[in-house]
Amino acid sequence: MRNKIFAVVSLMLVVNPVAGQYRIASPGYRYEFPRDNFDHPNFQTEWWYYTGNLKAADGHEFGFELTFFREGLNRKTEKASEWSASDLYLAHLALSDISDDKFYHRERLNRAGPGIAGASAETGRIWNGNWQILWNDSSQDLQAIGDQFALQLRLESRKQPVIHGLDGVSQKSAGAGHTSHYISLTRLTVSGDIELNEKKFPVTGTAWMDHEFFTQQLGADQVGWDWLSLQFDDNTELMLFRIRRKDGSIDPFSSGTYVDAAGKSTHLAQKDFTLLPLGETWASDSSRAVYPIHWQVSVPSLEINVDVSTPLKQQELAGKAALSPSYWEGAIRIAGTRNTAPLTGVGYLEMTGYDRPVQMGQPITGQAHDSAGR
Amino acid sequence: MSRLVLFYRLIVRPLFREPLRTGLTVLAVALGVAVVLAIDLAGNAAAGSFRSSVETLMGDSDLEVTSTGGLPDGIVGTLATLPYPIRVRPRLQDFVTVEPSGQTVPLIGLDLIGEATDQIVTSVSSGYEEELKNPNDLEGVWAGSSLKVKAGSTIRLLMNDHTREYPVRGVFDDAAEGGGIVVMDIAAAQRELGREGRVDSVLLKVPDKPALGEWQKRLQAALPAGVLTRPVGSRTAENQRMLAAFRWNLRVLSYVALLVGAFLIYNTISVSVVRRRAEIGIVRALGASRNEVLGAFLGEAAFFGVIGALLGCMLGRVIATGALKLLSATVQALYVSSRPGAIELTFTSLVIALLIGIGMSVIAALSPAREAGSVSPTEAMARGQREYATRMHKGRDMLIALGLAAGGVICSVPPAIAGKPLFGYLSAILLVAASALAIPAITDGLLKFSAHTLQQFTGVEGLLAARGLSGSLRRTSVLVAALSTAIAMMTAIGIMVGSFRQTVITWMDSQLQADLYLRPAGSPAADQHPTIPNDLADQIAHLSGVAALDRFRGYDISYEGLPATLGAADFHAVQPFRKSAFLSGRAANAVYRDLLGKDAVVISEPFANKHHLKRGDSITLPMGEARVQFRIVDISFDYASEAGYVVMDRATMLRYLPDPNPSDLAVYVAPGAGLETVRAEIQKAIAGHNILIFSNRSLRMEAIRTFDRTFVITYALEAISVVVAVIGIAGALLALVVDRRREFGLLRFLGAATSQIRKLILVEAGLIGLLANLVGFFLGLALSFILIYVINKQSFGWTIQFHWPTLILVSSLTGVFLATILAGLYPAQVAIRLNPIEVIHEE
Repeated sequence: MRNKIFAVVSLMLVVNPVAGQYRIASPGYRYEFPRDNFDHPNFQTEWWYYTGNLKAADGHEFGFELTFFREGLNRKTEKASEWSASDLYLAHLALSDISDDKFYHRERLNRAGPGIAGASAETGRIWNGNWQILWNDSSQDLQAIGDQFALQLRLESRKQPVIHGLDGVSQKSAGAGHTSHYISLTRLTVSGDIELNEKKFPVTGTAWMDHEFFTQQLGADQVGWDWLSLQFDDNTELMLFRIRRKDGSIDPFSSGTYVDAAGKSTHLAQKDFTLLPLGETWASDSSRAVYPIHWQVSVPSLEINVDVSTPLKQQELAGKAALSPSYWEGAIRIAGTRNTAPLTGVGYLEMTGYDRPVQMGQPITGQAHDSAGR
Repeated sequence: MSRLVLFYRLIVRPLFREPLRTGLTVLAVALGVAVVLAIDLAGNAAAGSFRSSVETLMGDSDLEVTSTGGLPDGIVGTLATLPYPIRVRPRLQDFVTVEPSGQTVPLIGLDLIGEATDQIVTSVSSGYEEELKNPNDLEGVWAGSSLKVKAGSTIRLLMNDHTREYPVRGVFDDAAEGGGIVVMDIAAAQRELGREGRVDSVLLKVPDKPALGEWQKRLQAALPAGVLTRPVGSRTAENQRMLAAFRWNLRVLSYVALLVGAFLIYNTISVSVVRRRAEIGIVRALGASRNEVLGAFLGEAAFFGVIGALLGCMLGRVIATGALKLLSATVQALYVSSRPGAIELTFTSLVIALLIGIGMSVIAALSPAREAGSVSPTEAMARGQREYATRMHKGRDMLIALGLAAGGVICSVPPAIAGKPLFGYLSAILLVAASALAIPAITDGLLKFSAHTLQQFTGVEGLLAARGLSGSLRRTSVLVAALSTAIAMMTAIGIMVGSFRQTVITWMDSQLQADLYLRPAGSPAADQHPTIPNDLADQIAHLSGVAALDRFRGYDISYEGLPATLGAADFHAVQPFRKSAFLSGRAANAVYRDLLGKDAVVISEPFANKHHLKRGDSITLPMGEARVQFRIVDISFDYASEAGYVVMDRATMLRYLPDPNPSDLAVYVAPGAGLETVRAEIQKAIAGHNILIFSNRSLRMEAIRTFDRTFVITYALEAISVVVAVIGIAGALLALVVDRRREFGLLRFLGAATSQIRKLILVEAGLIGLLANLVGFFLGLALSFILIYVINKQSFGWTIQFHWPTLILVSSLTGVFLATILAGLYPAQVAIRLNPIEVIHEE
């Protein structure tokens, strides 16, 4: 579950959706591919989220994150010119140079403008400037050009899209409408090139894609969340998230999904798993946030019991003060057991709301600026 | 003998004995240096301000992508998605007028969303988040702090032809820009300027490697042919190149005052040498070497130079402020929207001014100082050589003068070197030198020839005056040379400007044939083309009293590294009415027929000269996204823009640049329809638009006013040269009186009345003025030919018809003559006050 769009965008916006402009995510939604890989302008918020663990031929290890966010501003205004903004497009790009212990990240905000950003089924493209996903028949080409590094990767999905939640909706908090449509490609095999500081690394590895769209899904008492994607070496995957509330408790709507080797997915409710920080932390110099970077994950029904740690502590996307809050999103390593057999793997961990509470739920008005520290 | 003592006794003491004369000489040097420095400072300040873009809003961009008429929006998308690590910053740039102050300021439209994470927008500071809160706010502006508006208030802006209040969302520090700026989001700017679908430029930040040129090539390859990729600041460089000729000529002109000052230093040192021949003899007899004496007199010149230059630096800083006002008005009217930068008195410019002042003084003093050095002890100690030992070689000098004049004539032939009429200047210098060398012979001849005539008119004092002047021929010659140089410059520029003015008037008579002209209110700078909505033009065209309507559209373009104006006129609509004059002499209608709807253009004369183009040639112009080849069907006489015009038919332009809004309208009133009736109808049609209407007459008057304003600085410079010369005359006459006190004493002793002495001196002053006027006029006439046919033509490319500005010439020459006589008043007073007994007793 990726509500970063609220963390990043709504903190700086008075996104005041006029009633009736957007649909809410409702049970019974009929998914249709490849159409549902692209944009859903009837929903206010949408994102596409790529993370992965890669290894170069020389053994050099990397993690990467490329995300595209779309936030609807207004559906009723006549589009007076190419520059009229009906949506805002935000994108984040991060590269974890695990072997050299370095972390790079970049941020981009645009309106669709004259072809600057968008997500179009006609051209099979999701893009923000020269960061883009191009869908082919069976694969996707990921391109992300930065000033220090660039990614050119081909992603091939080994499994069918997973629809999270129940009856096509993922419930985020109590009450009708606090839902999203949430799709994942849980096992993408990756090959391509990473260019870092003018050096080219041919890489291979696995990636994960999340695609989620909704209109106002969250409750007001939620302050942040922790999310994990785990890709086990036995070709199964696990996605878990827990939402933290103001009073320190965990929201009962925290949930997860297990995907078996054949691609069959099972919904996990909060009672079906535990997700516990083990005390080891990393403190960010730039945001002052303290992140728990060592976790214990267990799913008793699947007899999974694993330890989650990170090979690189500083994987925080520190937000530029006024524009976005900071969050930690990084490559992780998994070691543990299923039943009694050893279980290992790689994945990604996201932790938000550790520098300041993430404003969620109802659209934020004036106080958005206060909470952004001004 | 210690050198210091020698210098003190021989040089310093005499200087203090005549403080007034010393002061005048210093003042002459100071004025010369001041003018040079002032023009330099003002020129830098004026030129420093033509930035192609507002700098802090440019960020760290390296390249800019532009095209004639603006880039289609889609190019921004193309650039943003190229697989290169570049930053893409689209820009809309225009000028708006802040009301009610009337200040014209740049309006920059930028992508406030796309640049929200960029340094640039955060420097636009407080309030930029407002844009993000309300991204479709189509009216909010961010104002530079120097506009003194508060966030949350409103600002009244005139854009194109409409004025309205815009809410100020934020204020940012514009100190670095040297003046107010207004920023809008690109969507709002497009809408308010009526330029939907296009941006003016896209600024790009590219990586350091590979080289900029390689990036330029790569990006150009990804863009349509008509789109131009060039280093940021190219436009500034182009503007500076365009202004180079203008600034050069101004600078040269500023050296005239210095040259006049040099003559005066020469004269002052000569007088010193002659007066102190006895002392020179003594110090030489006491063992001072030739070089010590030479050095002492050069020291005197250096003293004048140092004090004069120091004073000149202070004075120059003061004059620069005034000069900058004049300069920037000229630049704005003729060249490019400019906001004068701050005058920066740098260490370098100070040092240069000092060196020029001192160097000029020392060089001018070289010849008399050498003469002082060559004085032999015995010769000088022989009594009785109190007066000038005129060692003039009139005949030889006259021959050299003729040679120099011939050289001057030859130098007027070669073409410009790198756009600068260097040979033209050389020619002018040779002519000035020739006249200086010819002056002794001319003066001597004229004085001898006219002595008796003078006696008839002015009595015995006239005869004595003529004899006195030719008796001290060298001194007289130098004074005549100094004054005549100033007069010559005045005459030459008077004739050139007068001819130019008359040429422009004649041109306007043939060119401006419409009855009414309309253009959007706001700054009329040469490179700005605010527009009028085309449907409004349609309405006007359909008014009953309107026979034809010319819709002119101008674009600012760059051709081969120089700015120019690309224009289109509706030749189809105005064919029967418009009558332009062409270099080929062809009938206007024939030329228009060649233009109608075709890829053909007419270029203006300055444009043709600058780019060495002639009728029948082809030029390739970027038109929107395409590059189009146009045939030059003729060259038009044009005096409206120095940068030059390329004009095509409106139908042709609309094929490439579809924006139909004209920037100027010319209305031809139908025969029989009353001009005032039509004017009233048009007034009604344009109600609510901020559009100016000019009658044919008022447009011409405005044009001439602009013309006159641009030459104010020229007149000011030559006036200063004349002032320097007259100051010099006063000083020189004073010296003359002191030197000839024995003569005056004798005259008084012999019964001359004080009034006769005064008359004698005034006649001498008048004679100098008359001689200088005579020489100066002919020299000026010769220089005016060089100015009109060589320097002006090569610098600016205009054909100017020679014309006598009689009134200006007669009045200014008379003025200078009277000023010289007035300059004699004080010396005459001094002569009268001499006590004859005392003077004779000195013997």
